[in-house]
Parts: sequence; structure tokens; C-alpha cells
Amino acid sequence: MALISLDTSTDPQVGYRPSGTLDAESALAPYAGHFGVRQAAHLLRRAGFGGSAADVARTAGLGASAAVDSFVHPAAPELPFEAYPPREVLYAVKGGQARTGTELWWLDRMLRTQHPLAEKMTLFWHGHFATSIAKVPPALMARQIDLFRAQGLGNFHALLAAVSVDPAMSVWLDNRSNSKAHPNENYAREVMELFALGLGEYTESDVKEAARAFTGWAYDSHTMSVSFDPRRHDDGVKTFLGHSGNFGLTDVVNIIVAQPVHQRFLARKLLEYFVYSDPEPALTEAVAQTYALCGCDIAITVGTILRSNVFYSARAYRALPKSPIEFAVGLLRYVGATSVPPGLPDALRRMGQEPLAPPSVKGWDGGPAWINTTTLLARFNFVNALVATSRPAAGAIPAAALSGAPNVAPDAIVSAAGGLDPARIVDAIVTSALQDDVTGDVRATLVAFLRSGGDAAMTVNPMPFGPENYQEKIRGALALTFNLPVNQLN
Amino acid sequence: MPDRRSFLRSSLSVAVLGGSLPAAFARAASAQALPALGRSIDPANVLVVIALSGGNDGLNTIVPWSDDAYHRARPVIRIPDSAVLKLNARIGFNPALAGLGELYAQGHVAVVQGVGYPDPNRSHFEATQIWETASPQRPLGTGWLGRALDRMYPAGTKPPSLFEAVALGDTLPAALVAAHVDVAAIGGLNGYAYNTVKDVKTQAGVLYDGARPGGSPYLGMIAETARQAYHGGDELRARISGYTPAVTYPTDGFARQLRLAAQLIGSDAGTRIIFVSLGSFDTHANQRAQQDRLLKYLGDGLLAFFNDLAAHGLDKRVLALTFSEFGRRVNQNASNGTDHGTAMPLFAVGGGVSGGIYGEHPSLTDLDDGDLKFGTDFRSVYATVLERWLGRNSTDILAGTFAALPIV
Repeated sequence: MALISLDTSTDPQVGYRPSGTLDAESALAPYAGHFGVRQAAHLLRRAGFGGSAADVARTAGLGASAAVDSFVHPAAPELPFEAYPPREVLYAVKGGQARTGTELWWLDRMLRTQHPLAEKMTLFWHGHFATSIAKVPPALMARQIDLFRAQGLGNFHALLAAVSVDPAMSVWLDNRSNSKAHPNENYAREVMELFALGLGEYTESDVKEAARAFTGWAYDSHTMSVSFDPRRHDDGVKTFLGHSGNFGLTDVVNIIVAQPVHQRFLARKLLEYFVYSDPEPALTEAVAQTYALCGCDIAITVGTILRSNVFYSARAYRALPKSPIEFAVGLLRYVGATSVPPGLPDALRRMGQEPLAPPSVKGWDGGPAWINTTTLLARFNFVNALVATSRPAAGAIPAAALSGAPNVAPDAIVSAAGGLDPARIVDAIVTSALQDDVTGDVRATLVAFLRSGGDAAMTVNPMPFGPENYQEKIRGALALTFNLPVNQLN
Repeated sequence: MPDRRSFLRSSLSVAVLGGSLPAAFARAASAQALPALGRSIDPANVLVVIALSGGNDGLNTIVPWSDDAYHRARPVIRIPDSAVLKLNARIGFNPALAGLGELYAQGHVAVVQGVGYPDPNRSHFEATQIWETASPQRPLGTGWLGRALDRMYPAGTKPPSLFEAVALGDTLPAALVAAHVDVAAIGGLNGYAYNTVKDVKTQAGVLYDGARPGGSPYLGMIAETARQAYHGGDELRARISGYTPAVTYPTDGFARQLRLAAQLIGSDAGTRIIFVSLGSFDTHANQRAQQDRLLKYLGDGLLAFFNDLAAHGLDKRVLALTFSEFGRRVNQNASNGTDHGTAMPLFAVGGGVSGGIYGEHPSLTDLDDGDLKFGTDFRSVYATVLERWLGRNSTDILAGTFAALPIV
């Protein structure tokens, strides 16, 4: 059988680079321009999971430099989050509930964290080192998420070394089965292709030799830990990426991280996550240099990106599609929800991003792959069930999930608008939710909605906007706003 | 002693095709791709892929009833000789597959035995990825059917219908993940819609229809997709409203999905590829009750489906293909179930199918660490479907050349 090459490394985001020209010289220089609500909301969306209108105003008041500091070096202490529920508790419930429960545990953290960049990086590394609860026990997944949170803004070199002996990863990519007698190349291959270098930057011989160096790290399912067993380790000489020696796991990690191609590999991924799709090679190179100069320090590299001219440029503004988690958690943070609706993991699965369950070792493709008719309908119906009516259909997420969600309370919006004037209410909504990033047509359509006759099932036909129907009407206008195409952009 | 000659009615005719000539089919399976058949492929052909998820036990599906090793390996969960619906002197259907047996007797079922691939994976997740992306060696981001769609509609072009390919379920299976063709996942007719109160829905339509592409390369794509998504549900219901099923389907969820599949095929929805799931076949304990119930859904559902299609004159252009991520081990376990194994049989069903038995039944004594050895690579089955049913070159889609089987 003649195997032909099937190109699977094609970056799906090519073609989605913003129009216009990069000013490569000044791209990473600190931004010194106007820092208003648009820039603050942009920072909140990219460096975290968005926020309420009050969060936007507060961030804008800090100015660019202090605002970025508040993400990279948060002064506020983190909330006292509950440690992950012990194993006995999770296994006392049915299997599917342990999965959902673990996902809710993480989503709650995304919603309420005071350190949103750490959580945003945790999500980044979860997609990067894509490990799935479909194969790995929930408790190990939770520990891996804890690892990403603890080290996700630290040093990549240390992070990669930690991931290489992480129990969830050991189960996921089978390094637990990798021994001198029975080498398993799965982790050795992916650490180069997916985690650090990219396809084509190593040979099949490098894979075999790295696998030999990775032998001996056994996983014990009783203690749920990974430890080194010298009897299972191949201690012969290996030749790997041009180096020879009696290499072990740490040596291979050291050699990988020192490859110049690694710097560009990670720089491009960070740019696609934080700035825009298909970044120019010159921009990637500039970030790679920053990353190399600081010795793989993630906080310094990400901080440089978040402070930069290119980050605040018009080309980067709303230039990425929101991932489903960014969309849903962002919505909950915007409305001021204090807890995660129990149906959120299932809703996210329909939107195409169940947390802890990436579709393959390659993680989520992201970019245009987030958007298709099925996933958009899932987004729209999530919003509709959440806010479009106070009388949701059976089985929908109850509006009670939003009790304590002050920013979608119709009375609060009426108060912000100074009365029941449809145009001023639409103003209040689109300014608060979208920093006014809507066209005149959209604004007029929303005003027309408030003025139109209500839903036949609930009113005595046509009823002008007023005291008897403003609650339902404002909820409807909010849903229409959240479901606008522009609100799918981050 | 049960009568080991009481085969299904048509066994004599299919014996010519299959059972009595295993060597010929072993040859066919390893031969070069068949030359063009000198027949045209109907561009309206429809493929229905049925995932038996969880790992279906092949030995209690196609039962090697005359093999003593079978009865020894499964003292409790074996199907007794007297109950087996015999196809020939060696094998027969699980009696729960009586519905499928009727279709077999009509010559519309091909049984492909011992399907698998080298170095089989026993993880549900990974084995499913392997089958659905048709890539045992490397994980792929697109599915085998998704890649077929991408080649039918290269970047920049679009299928004429939003429902060219449909997953009946609320998320896309890996098999249908395409690089640029939008595939609808339809959990149910009511769920596939922009669901909200009437006045909100009306105005949402105004917003989506009036959207103007902006500066961001993503905004135009999102606005267009939102418009399609918004109208898709209503469009789907309108398109299929003209189709009235000619039979009464069973009431289980799988049969409901097949009924919707028939509606899609029989209306002008333009659907060519449908994906349906049935499960869970993960029968680690008390296997008989669970597997038999599911196999009855499968057999009775397919019988109703093809009877319905036949009444509408559509059965000859519909091919249903089953698969499962793995079969199960030969020996029963201590819980009267079976654990994850390897090769299993799959079914190709339809009016255009050359009914019969293909490939050899795997040996129950010549095993690989207690597991069955596969005889036919699953990608040969995919190549058959791509080349001989959908009219596509399979080599680039499957990243290799696999010989087609003469099942269609």
C-alpha cells in the first residue's frame, strides 16, 4: 500500500488575516494612544473573558499601562475557590455527572476569577496540550488544569517539563506504556509536532530516539501519580536533533526548547490567540525574539503583546471570532451572573467546545472552524433561552440562572436610559454591551422591535412599548443584541 | 440437535455469491482496485452511515453457530444454535436481527466479515477517531466523509443545499468534519431552529437578512452563516413537508432518526450523506439483553426504512453502511459481558447492494492475544463506497489505495 501524504497541518486560519498593512517597526512598541472604553473592552475580552459595563469603565480609568498590569500582575487576591472535589465525591455520582461536574468546576472559575489572564492562559494551554476527559479520568484532568493555572504564566521550559510527567498527559498520550522493552512513540511525536516545534521540524529517527529517552516514567493508577522507574528506562546513547548522549526526559525537553523554530512556533500560536489570525512572519519573528530574550518567560511575552501597538490597532479590533467559551462565559460575566447554569457544558458541546473535551490531540482548530450553522444556532438558542423571555421553554436554562444578574434587569436598563424611550433604551444596550459597535441600520431595527406589537401569546395585540410589556421587550432586545454577528467577534 | 440446514430462504442463491466461495472473495479483497464497471454512478445516490457506538460484539451479531470454539468461549452469553437465523452451514444472524434477515432474504444485505485494521486501538475515543477520520496512524482534523465533501465542493464553492450532508444528532461526528463545507447537525426537527418568542424571531430575521459585511474578514462569513442558520430550520421543515412515510416506523429513537432520514431523501432537501448513531453497544456486563435490544432497533429500523424507501421508489439509490469502533473479545468475561476487542462484521444494505457474505469469518482459534484477526481493512469498505457509490477517487481521501469490494 503506497501511503500518500495527506496534508493536515494546513492552518485553517489562513485567509483570515485582517486587511491593511503591518507596521513591523513599531508593532511591539508600547501603545501610547487613546485608551477608552473600546480599548478597555478589547483588553478585557482578549486577556480575560470580558466583563460588565462597570468592569469596562473601571479598566478604561486605569489607562493602558496600569490596565495591562492589572491582568499580568493582579494586585487583588484570588477568591477562595473550592479545591477540586475529592475523588470519592465524584465517583459517588454517575460517570457522566463526574465529567459534567468537573467541567462546571472549571467554568465557575472562569466566571468568577479575579485573575482572568491566568485563567485565559489555562484555557490556552488546555487547547495547546489538548487532553480529553473522554479518555482521562476527571480527577487527573482537574490536576492538569491546576498545573496550567499554576505555571501557565511562568516559564515554558518548566511547563513543558511538568507536562511531560503530568499524569493526565501520561495516560492521554500513552507515555505510561513507554518502556525500554516496548517503546511507545506517541508522546515523543506529539511533543515535537503539536507542543513545541511543528510538523516537518524533526525526523522519524528523532521521534524514535526521543521515545527512548522518555522511557521509564510509569503511571500508578492507585496513587494517580507518575514516577521514574529506572528498570523500565533505556539508558543507552541516543542521537536527537543533532545531539548525542545518554539522554533522559529532561535532556530531550532542553534540546527541544532550545530550537529556534520553537520560538516562532509558540509566538505564532500566541498571536493567533491574542491578536489576529495568520499573523505576518515579521510580527511572528518580533514576538519570537522577545520570547527568546526573556528565556521563554510567558508572562513577559504575553505582557509585551498586550501592551503593544499592534494589539490596540484597528486591524486587531474585533478581528477574531469568539470561541464558544469566550462567548458564553463572556455573556455571563457581562450580565453579572454569579453562578454557572448547570446546562452550560452541554450547551458548549453543541456550540463546538465542551471544556476538557477537545476533539483530538490537535485541540480545537478555532478561527473559522468555530462558525457553522449548527454551532451558531446553538449560540443563538443559548442566548434566547437565557434572556429572550422570562418564560423559557421547558428544558431550557431557566432565567433564574440570572437571578443576581443586575445588568440584564430591564428596570436597571430603563433607569440607565432615563425612562421608557425606545431609542434611548437601545442606546443604553448597544453602548453597554457592544461599545456602540453597531451600524445605524441595526440600531433602527432594535428600536423598531421595541415599538412593534408584542408576541401574540403574551399580549392583547399590538401593544406599544410601555409599562405593560417593557420587561419582555427589553429582554428580547438584549437577546437580539447578543446574537448579532458583531457580538460573535472578540 | 437443531437442524443446521434450516438456512434463511434465499441462502441457496446467496451461497453462490458468498458462503460457498470464500476463497474468491478473499482474492477480491486483496486484489487491485476494480476497473471501471462500465456503468454510470447515479449522482443522486445517497449514503447513510450508521455508527454502532460503544463497540458492537461481532460474534453475537454474525454468529459462527457451528463452531464449537464459539460455544466454549461463551457458555452463558452464546446464542443457541436453535435460535440463530442461519445464513449457511457456518454463520447466521442474531435472532434480534430478524428485520435485517428479511432484507437479506431479498438480496439487499452484504455482510462484510472480519473488518479491522493493523495494531487495533481499544480506547473508545481513539478507535472512533481512527474509524471516522480513516487514519489509524495519525490523528486527522477532518473526517473521511468531510474530506469527500471538501473535494466535491472545493474552497470558494458551496453545495446547492445546506442539507447536502446531515448528521442526525446535536453535534457533528468526526466523520463529517470538513475543512470548508458546512454540515448541519440536526438533533430533531424542533431543535434545529432559531427558537424564541415570535416577535424576537421576526426581528432577528430582519437583522440577519440586512447584515452588511464589515471590515473584519470574519464578520462577513459570520453574517452569512447566521443568515443561513436562521432560515435553515424553516427551510428544512418546508422541504420535507411533502414526504409522507409509507410505513409505520418503530417508536424508538433510532427509528425516528431513520424516518427523518427517509424524509430528507424523499423530499427535495438535496441530501446525499446522512450520519446516524445507535448505542451504547459497550456491553461489559449482562450483554445479551442490551445488545439484543439494540440489534432489534437496528434490524427493525432498517426494515421499516427500506420498505418506506421502496414504496417511494427510492431504495435503489440509498446505501446504508454500519460500523463500530471495535468488536469485542472472543471470551465472555466474569460479568456475562465482553470487553473491548478488535475485528467485527459490518453491513451494507440497500436496493443497489449485491447481497451475500464477503470475506472470511475470523478464526476463533487462531487469535492475536485472545482477539480476532481482521481480514478486510475498513478503508477497503470506505474505498468501495467512495468509488462505486459516490463516484469519488478514494486515494487522496484515504491517503492510500485500498481495493474496492464488489458489494455495490
